[in-house]
Amino acid sequence: MIRAFLLASTVLAAPAIAEEFKWAETTDPQTMDPHAVNSAAVLGFLNNVYEGLVRRGKDMTIEPALATSWEPIGAGEGWRFTLRQGVTFHDGAEFSADDVIFSYQRASDEASDTRSWFAPVSEVIKVDDYTVDIMTTAPNPIFPDSIANWMMMDSGWAETNNTTLPDKESGNHATLNTNGTGAFKVTAREPGLRTVLEPNADWWDTAEHNITRAELTPIQNPATAVAALLSGDVDLINPVPIQDAERLAANDAVKVIQGIEARVIMLGFPHEADALKYSSETTDANPFADAKVRQAVAHAINVPAILQTIMRGNAEPASQLVSPAMRGYSTPLADRPAYDPERAKALLAEAGYADGFSFGLKCPNDRYLNDEAVCQAVTGMLAQVGITAVLDAMPVQNYWPELRADNYDMYLLGWSPGTFDAEHPIRFLAATPNEEKKLGSWNFGGFSDPRVDELLPMIQSEIDDAKRQAMLDETTKILQDEVAYVPMYVQPLVWGAKANVDLTQRPDNFFILRWVTVN
Amino acid sequence: MISFVLQRVAQSALVLLVVGLVAFSMFRFVGDPIDNMLGQERTIEDVERLRAQLGLDQPFAVQYYRFLEEAVQGNFGVSYRQGRPVSDILLERAPATLELAAVSGFLAIALGIGLGVFTAIRRNGLWANVIMSASLIGVSLPTFLIGILLIYLFSVELGWLPSFGRGETVRIGNWTTGFLTESGLKALILPAITLGLYQMTLIMRLVRSEMLEVLRQDYIRFARARGLKERAINFRHALKNTLVPVITVTGLQLGSIIAFAIITETVFQWPGVGLLFINAIQFVDIPVMAAYLMLISVMFVGINLIVDLLYFAIDPRLRVDRAGGH
Repeated sequence: MIRAFLLASTVLAAPAIAEEFKWAETTDPQTMDPHAVNSAAVLGFLNNVYEGLVRRGKDMTIEPALATSWEPIGAGEGWRFTLRQGVTFHDGAEFSADDVIFSYQRASDEASDTRSWFAPVSEVIKVDDYTVDIMTTAPNPIFPDSIANWMMMDSGWAETNNTTLPDKESGNHATLNTNGTGAFKVTAREPGLRTVLEPNADWWDTAEHNITRAELTPIQNPATAVAALLSGDVDLINPVPIQDAERLAANDAVKVIQGIEARVIMLGFPHEADALKYSSETTDANPFADAKVRQAVAHAINVPAILQTIMRGNAEPASQLVSPAMRGYSTPLADRPAYDPERAKALLAEAGYADGFSFGLKCPNDRYLNDEAVCQAVTGMLAQVGITAVLDAMPVQNYWPELRADNYDMYLLGWSPGTFDAEHPIRFLAATPNEEKKLGSWNFGGFSDPRVDELLPMIQSEIDDAKRQAMLDETTKILQDEVAYVPMYVQPLVWGAKANVDLTQRPDNFFILRWVTVN
Repeated sequence: MISFVLQRVAQSALVLLVVGLVAFSMFRFVGDPIDNMLGQERTIEDVERLRAQLGLDQPFAVQYYRFLEEAVQGNFGVSYRQGRPVSDILLERAPATLELAAVSGFLAIALGIGLGVFTAIRRNGLWANVIMSASLIGVSLPTFLIGILLIYLFSVELGWLPSFGRGETVRIGNWTTGFLTESGLKALILPAITLGLYQMTLIMRLVRSEMLEVLRQDYIRFARARGLKERAINFRHALKNTLVPVITVTGLQLGSIIAFAIITETVFQWPGVGLLFINAIQFVDIPVMAAYLMLISVMFVGINLIVDLLYFAIDPRLRVDRAGGH
């Protein structure tokens, strides 16, 4: 029965010879529940299994998935989605408006990690079986963009299996089992060991891939992953350690696929602090409260040199909090401050620190690509203009609590906007922290600018693209002039695959199996 | 007798409690699991709420007490990372580690004794010298380096053996075994060598020196004088007398094979409890770390307890309660 089923799917789906595909990633998705954990590992994997109303294409643009079309309601009261008819879940149940309502209730519950996506939503209304109105408290032009990872779950399946709400703490049926509408279904799941996928023969869309079975294995040790690829035990590894990329590229049997991720790596400052915490002499003042000092830091850092030596030419410099691939990027403000140590020294002198000062730089050592090496380079570059950083690098589990406790004088941060829009980092990194409004929750240094706070809600509700972009440009300009952060570069994506594998790499670092062909 | 046993059991229990206390006092240095459990778009409020829910806002002594309270009822809590009971996860992972430990332990003993006897008998031979020099590598190279070297040689260059994982496994009841499939057996070879190499060289060198010692004894000379065959002398008379210290050392090494499996399992992505522990550290999965550390310490304490009791059975001088009469 199963074999006949597989055979059928092969005939339908495979343009070439059917293939088994194995891939390895550093992290295993910690759950199969699409609403429990909002992390790239989980959402990236589940994009192969579950689907949302909309999805992102190869170039990250929003395209129809379970909704065939959508349009704003009135003057921005909400969005009306027309649902695709004839879509079935993997267990055969039909997809309809009730599942959207259910998935909204499930994904926006307090128990769900995806709850923040629905902060602008006031109500979700079923108009008929295939039409849903999502009402928002204020006009929300990017709402369809922000729900590409909101995945639809069957209400009947969830009720039968007693999993109407996610349970992160102790898990439930949906933690280990799936029932999506996507191109693949999970046929075996052993957490931390392997997850097996097989094509969904009844998928509504035309399959581009030629895979008959796929298996994901987490491999934590980078050297083991590289060996697994070279020995042919796996077809793809993500990521390839930067130092191995060149060696792999020279090997004919494999290829290295490079791109840039959505993640911008930057330096952050203690804007609110009264004094430095880790200085040996400047214990009663906070030089970083002065914009001139922050500008000096921006000019002191030789980003091209960092990219050349530490990233081996694989990354791109960044001028703002988002990469050029994101919606709302400010093209006129694409230049980052030039590397100019003399100017940096002059700025420091103007600010009254001609003799420099010492301070503490906090850095993670296992969060971003070569993060500690980058911080060491930054330390060296700052020393050349006379300010001495005492570097303290630590594992990320220790890092965030330190930042939350304000134990830093300068810190390294990477930010990847979940919505792929320039508004996202403004909301989390630049808005004045406000627990009630859920603003500035990653703005550790407490940067605050009244104009930015004023612009943010206007950006969020502006329907007109040109006006919205003008406001984004204005915000970016303020953040650049004030040097709220020092954006340095966009982190690279480096995947390794066998030479006979064709695939598409997206800047969100999601591995989309339905675009893979094994030749 | 009974008082001796009770005394030793009480000591063991005390050791376990102290190990647990030290482990729990260390956990807060491993980091904060909350950021791994909540996504990027969490608020500070969410962080505080989850921390209170998990009891992480309590002092470590309180956390430890709660752990003990649950643990004595056989409940080791729920993994932060996987959202499943820790005992289920440990039971699922244990067969991989135990099979690997058994095979490498067997390899270490069989090859260790065989090569030890060989190098002792032919102690001036070319091969014996080659083996002795090579064994230095086993003692001095770190495990992860040996693992990586073996992977590059046998998987990448020669393509004979898989580079990672456990191959296909067969489920028998609650146990998964790799012994019954070809890919499972193939996958065992490299990790078993990596894990067992150190113990093998240790046993080999021990057997060799003991053997050299025994071969000098008078009774061996007399055996030769009686015209016994070399093989009978070497294996029946000499080897038997070298085995007493070897058995003691091997017994004690058994525990460390399981504990040191962590590194081998990481290099080979071997899905055992050691790899689980490493992942737990990276995620700050406190329930898994606590259960693993307790399990390992129960094992070590248990082995030591058995050894103590065996000594008691063997050595009459330890029977303190009877000592007065004689």
